[in-house]
Amino acid sequence: MSADPVVSTVNLVKIYQSGGVPVPAVRGVDLRVESGEFVAIMGPSGSGKSTLVHMLGGLDARTSGEIWLDGRRADTLGESAWALLRRQKIGFVFQFFNLIANMTVADNVELPALLAGASPREARERRERLLGALGLTGRADAAPAQLAGGEQQRVALARALANKPSLLLADEPTGNLDSRNTRDVLKLLADVHRDGQTIILVTHDARVASLADRVVSLLDGQIVDDGVVGTFRRRPKGTAGDVVELRG
Amino acid sequence: MTVSTFRASARWIRADLRARRGQAALTVLAVAGIVTALITSATLLEDGTNPWRGLFSQTRGAHVWIHTKDAPDAAALSRLPGVEQVAGPYRTAPVTLAMGGKKSPVALRETTAQPPRVAAPLVGEGRWLRTGDTAGVVVERSFAEALDLRVGGPFTVTALNGASHALVVVGLAETADQGFYPEWTPGLAWVLPQTLAGIEPALGRSESVTGLRLADGEDTLPVVHGAVTLLDEQIQRMSTWREVRASMELDNRLLGLLLALFGTAGLVAAALATANAVGGRVLTQTRDIATLKSLGYTRGQVFAVLVAEHGALGLLGIGLGTVCGLLVTTLALDGLSVLPLSPVPLLAIIAGAAAVVLVAVALPAWRGGRTPPIPAAPAAPPRGRLSRVARLALLVRLPPALVLGTRDAFTRRTPAFLSIVGLAVPMMMITIGLGCWATLDDFLRRPEQVGQAAALTVHPDGLPAEDAARLARADPDVRAVYPGSEVSALEPEQTRSVLARALGTSAEPYPFSVVEGRMFAARGEAVAGQGLLDLLGVEIGDRVRMTVGGTPLIVHIVGRVVEPDHDGQVLSLGMDSLAAKDAVPPQFYSLVLKKGADPEAVRDRLLAASGETLEVRRAVNPAERLAVIRVVIVALTVVLALLGLANLLTARSLGLRDHAFDLAVLKAMGLTPGQVAATLVTGTGLLVVLGVVAGTAAGASVVGGLIDLQGHTSGVGAGIGRTPSALTLAVTACTAIGAALLVTSVPARRAARAQVPVTAR
Repeated sequence: MSADPVVSTVNLVKIYQSGGVPVPAVRGVDLRVESGEFVAIMGPSGSGKSTLVHMLGGLDARTSGEIWLDGRRADTLGESAWALLRRQKIGFVFQFFNLIANMTVADNVELPALLAGASPREARERRERLLGALGLTGRADAAPAQLAGGEQQRVALARALANKPSLLLADEPTGNLDSRNTRDVLKLLADVHRDGQTIILVTHDARVASLADRVVSLLDGQIVDDGVVGTFRRRPKGTAGDVVELRG
Repeated sequence: MTVSTFRASARWIRADLRARRGQAALTVLAVAGIVTALITSATLLEDGTNPWRGLFSQTRGAHVWIHTKDAPDAAALSRLPGVEQVAGPYRTAPVTLAMGGKKSPVALRETTAQPPRVAAPLVGEGRWLRTGDTAGVVVERSFAEALDLRVGGPFTVTALNGASHALVVVGLAETADQGFYPEWTPGLAWVLPQTLAGIEPALGRSESVTGLRLADGEDTLPVVHGAVTLLDEQIQRMSTWREVRASMELDNRLLGLLLALFGTAGLVAAALATANAVGGRVLTQTRDIATLKSLGYTRGQVFAVLVAEHGALGLLGIGLGTVCGLLVTTLALDGLSVLPLSPVPLLAIIAGAAAVVLVAVALPAWRGGRTPPIPAAPAAPPRGRLSRVARLALLVRLPPALVLGTRDAFTRRTPAFLSIVGLAVPMMMITIGLGCWATLDDFLRRPEQVGQAAALTVHPDGLPAEDAARLARADPDVRAVYPGSEVSALEPEQTRSVLARALGTSAEPYPFSVVEGRMFAARGEAVAGQGLLDLLGVEIGDRVRMTVGGTPLIVHIVGRVVEPDHDGQVLSLGMDSLAAKDAVPPQFYSLVLKKGADPEAVRDRLLAASGETLEVRRAVNPAERLAVIRVVIVALTVVLALLGLANLLTARSLGLRDHAFDLAVLKAMGLTPGQVAATLVTGTGLLVVLGVVAGTAAGASVVGGLIDLQGHTSGVGAGIGRTPSALTLAVTACTAIGAALLVTSVPARRAARAQVPVTAR
């Protein structure tokens, strides 16, 4: 039996009410993302791609359909249960970085670790390792406002990875960056993906999407195309090959 | 909250507090100021500053004092139900103390070298009497202070038979047997029995004083009745602990009420300011809160973090205020022996303030907890509609900056409303404070309006009364001289005596401040203070049968006067209404001076002209005793201004946050930085103007009534309240608005000049 997919949805629907008029944003999406996959969700503005990832992370409630995370049904969870689930399993990266302005870079990265129950020392060690890996060691005590956009997004990435989530959701992570910073951030995403991180990335930029293993195209809330880009390396969780590849 | 969330939340709170130190400090200070005011007021209202409470317990005082002609049967008295112990009977003789040309009546009371077990005076200076101290005397402290008597100094008394006896003060002692001198006369001094026997050998010219200590002070009335039944005719007069306590009370009650009023209104204002500040903070932090939620904070945890952060500030303020309140009551009100506030009201204040603060924090925090976790969702104000005010502004062709600012002011209805009310309440209280100030000023400037037309009272003393009147009339600065006498009047049920003051005649009455009805104009007519009207339960126009100076008289009460003395329980009538034995010769003359005359100079001239035989007293204006109220008003104004500032900062930061991203658009539309700044300032300034004007108007309309209400309940009577002058109000309002605009304009100009990044919120 193959391992459960990291995330799967069954006929997922989201309908917003706008002044009493129902506005469907997502209309019956069936999506299955395996562990270690890097999926790009593409589509024009208003195609429902952001709504879809928000629902996958529990930030937005679904109207109908099912969401399964790591083999557990999640769409029936309450707001608080979703929050607990996010702490342990989901990392978010947003277009506008969403760093907490009052907190230093270090505190921003340590916050999710502390929230998930890590000791202050453990949180610090994780933060040091992550910031080191993302080339931000010297900026730990800076305020987010002192950083350039690309640096802020790298901090946001570090924060999203602080709890080793099984799923990283990135909503237009490069939408607010120039081409150089976009390249840097994408390289980092590719790096963490190579280390086995499952990623779902929302973008409307084909060049960004080309980095993924698989591109899902949305139009008017429905999947119109789902295709593998290049060689899709399917890696079952926890095999010896995994370790070898990580070292390599 | 688990330990892990606690750690994460602590980081968040610490970072947030660090980012807004000033606002946090303001919250703490404002809450602390209000709790201080509340604790001080409760202490004052609870008689904590009334020295009676402390004195009575320290001296193991007697609840009831009975003055009889001869020594009563102490054993029988001690058998009365409720009586625990008996003090005395002590023989007491009336003597006169001559000091520096002034003669003061003294009650010389016998005592033993061994201090008694009940009602033992508390020696503060010097020592108690010793066996063989036949020339020694211990003097009651307030009496000694009034006459500047020192330990070791002379105390030369004249007995009724005219013989003079030189005694020496060996100690000063405090007692709860009677009130303080000069509110309570005669002064009290203790000597050994053999000394008293030497000064006043005639038993018939002395009286006997017996104190009863009761098991429960609340049982005073039955014991008094029991004693009256037992001793009947022998009793000359009685006094109870309630009268002593009331006489020691001074004006703490008024001050306490004022503080309570300010404190309670301040607490409401603080609740508004806190709710507004937390609400504003939640709105400005919507994105951060959403981010926290996306990181895995639950709704309850967000609520808990917000309540913990803002509630902790409030609780810190309460803690600080409690310490300050206890310090203020012990330090600032020194000179009075203060007992700290008893635990029940103290806890009630702390718990009440904490509850108010927590509710004020919890409501917006709950809203914060419901923030949707999608950080990108903008918390934009409702748009697309011009408020009515803005439309009005457009109609009258105001400059665009003003119109846009007016529109901005009301984009968020609830915070706008909270800001207005949050500014109006402190402003109203400040106006009320100014009204109290104006009333005090009015007392001083026009003493005749509080019934103190006469600045000086002349007691003929050694001179014949006519000579005293002639001397007074001869002084160039004296405008009028009114003969006066004070006798006691018994009210119809004959249970309590009040003061009947005859001053002037029906034809030429003293210029009392008649606020209702009219001045007495015929024999048998009288005017009364509010306290007396309330005591007798009569109205103007009623006729009351009273015993005035021992003579039955049907008094026709024709008016009400402002009466600052004796809780307003004073009957004022013409000399011609008194029986001849009381009216001739007059006991004293009241001197109304010409405008601008210096009472001290007139006093000195009169003393010189009479060869120091006259006794000339200056009237004490109630405002002089109430001077401490001014300090309180200033302190409270500062606290209230802090609250207003806190509200203003909230309104400002909210305005900046809501509109910061419009700035680029405004600039693109061609507004100059100056106009952009004006837009921002107008947005906040309009709320300020509305709040200040509403608060000032509300304060000005209620202050006169409030002071009159207080006057009514304290017996002085309505008719003293003054509204601050229009100029004062205008200056205050303009100062408030000006300061507010200044506070707003600095960040507005900075924001207008800053490069605004065109990004989402």
